[in-house]
Amino acid sequence: MEHAGYSELLAAQAVDALDAAEARAVLAHVESCAECRRELAGLRDAAALLAHAAPLAAPDDDVRARILQAIRGLTESPKVLPLPSSSNGWPNVLRLAAAIAFVALLLGLIVLWRRDAASRRQITEVTRQLNRQQRELQTERENLAQQAAALALLTSADAKKIALAATTTAQNARATFAYDEKSRRGILVIEGLPPTPADKAYQVWVIPKGLAPIPGRTFIISNNGRAIVADNFPLEAGSSSVIAVTLEPKGGSGAPTGAIYLASPAG
Amino acid sequence: MQAEPSQIADADLLRAVSRGDESALAALYDRYRLILFGLILRILNDRSEAEDVLQEAFLQVWRRANDFDEPRGRAFTWLVTIARSRALDRLRVLSSRARLIEADKQAVSYEPGDAGQEAAKSERGEIVRQALRELPNEQRRALLLAYFEGLTQAEIAERLGDPLGTVKTRMRSGLIKLRDLLRDRSRDLI
Repeated sequence: MEHAGYSELLAAQAVDALDAAEARAVLAHVESCAECRRELAGLRDAAALLAHAAPLAAPDDDVRARILQAIRGLTESPKVLPLPSSSNGWPNVLRLAAAIAFVALLLGLIVLWRRDAASRRQITEVTRQLNRQQRELQTERENLAQQAAALALLTSADAKKIALAATTTAQNARATFAYDEKSRRGILVIEGLPPTPADKAYQVWVIPKGLAPIPGRTFIISNNGRAIVADNFPLEAGSSSVIAVTLEPKGGSGAPTGAIYLASPAG
Repeated sequence: MQAEPSQIADADLLRAVSRGDESALAALYDRYRLILFGLILRILNDRSEAEDVLQEAFLQVWRRANDFDEPRGRAFTWLVTIARSRALDRLRVLSSRARLIEADKQAVSYEPGDAGQEAAKSERGEIVRQALRELPNEQRRALLLAYFEGLTQAEIAERLGDPLGTVKTRMRSGLIKLRDLLRDRSRDLI
């Protein structure tokens, strides 16, 4: 298709009304055509304003608090999960420690309650610590649940699994990608990558055959060379796309700019 | 954040969110909760599902604020796009549970005229609704079906019993006309 043909599809793309194949073709063209990129951005701005055609509505007041509480949980848990250690007893140790701390804090509270008003400030402090501990425990629980979900995906019969091979950049690196088309959840288990330089990050890419790479999540590798990257992946990840990892500036890129470290074989 | 949140531009708030500033996310929520929740509720027609999706959308804003690329689009567009895609994803899950039967009964309420009295208080919303009223009915209908029901052009043609080519032309002319009307009337919007 020529430029004019794509240009006619931009309005439909702006409201996501193209079928998947047309949409992929249009987006690939837009990547390489500044004029269509500008036009699509303007049409998307217009389309976004269609939201005003819906009646305004107020969510319940507690939604705000739920969101703020949830992001605190996200901030405290790393976005890239560390691999579980080989001895899998630690969560129990952690729980036990938290339980002991919990009881100790409760006892502390009771003692403090018996003192006079001067102790109130201390009580507040202990309560704050208690809350923090409970939040940490909650975060830890969510982490474990995420890890369990990740492992379930890796061992699921429904999930498609692909091995990613090292390139000459880092010959010891290897990775496995598992993807469940139904939920669009994907997980990339990585070993043997060199530690990330300070101003860089590794980035995951889904590269559909003959089309522009779709950027994925960025992640950092520390000393052990390992990471699990769990994320929602586009449907293209399930077809004959190449899954690759490159080194990019911190914050990631819109299109790959750095060396390729890992790639699945071209389908 | 030192300045009054109401005076900070959307894009600056998003940049603050990408640095992990919770109060910036709260400010964006306070600024756009009515319109985003209205949009999600219009798509899902179920308050509790819509509240869940609103929460998901803001968590995505929190995690992905880094992806917001100002030269490539407005912050409002970015936020609305996230809320709408999340809502349409949820609609697809729910529709397999035959939730759409309920929504279909309401399919007549496309006319922007009955957009609700509370909405009329928003000046911005009034400009957009006025522009929508000026589009020919068929163009408006095609656009709103795509926008709120997540239908493709082919599905809209089937639903309305119109030829695909006609639907394509209507959608394209409708959105371009809407954009041009809005550009003429408010430089602040587009």
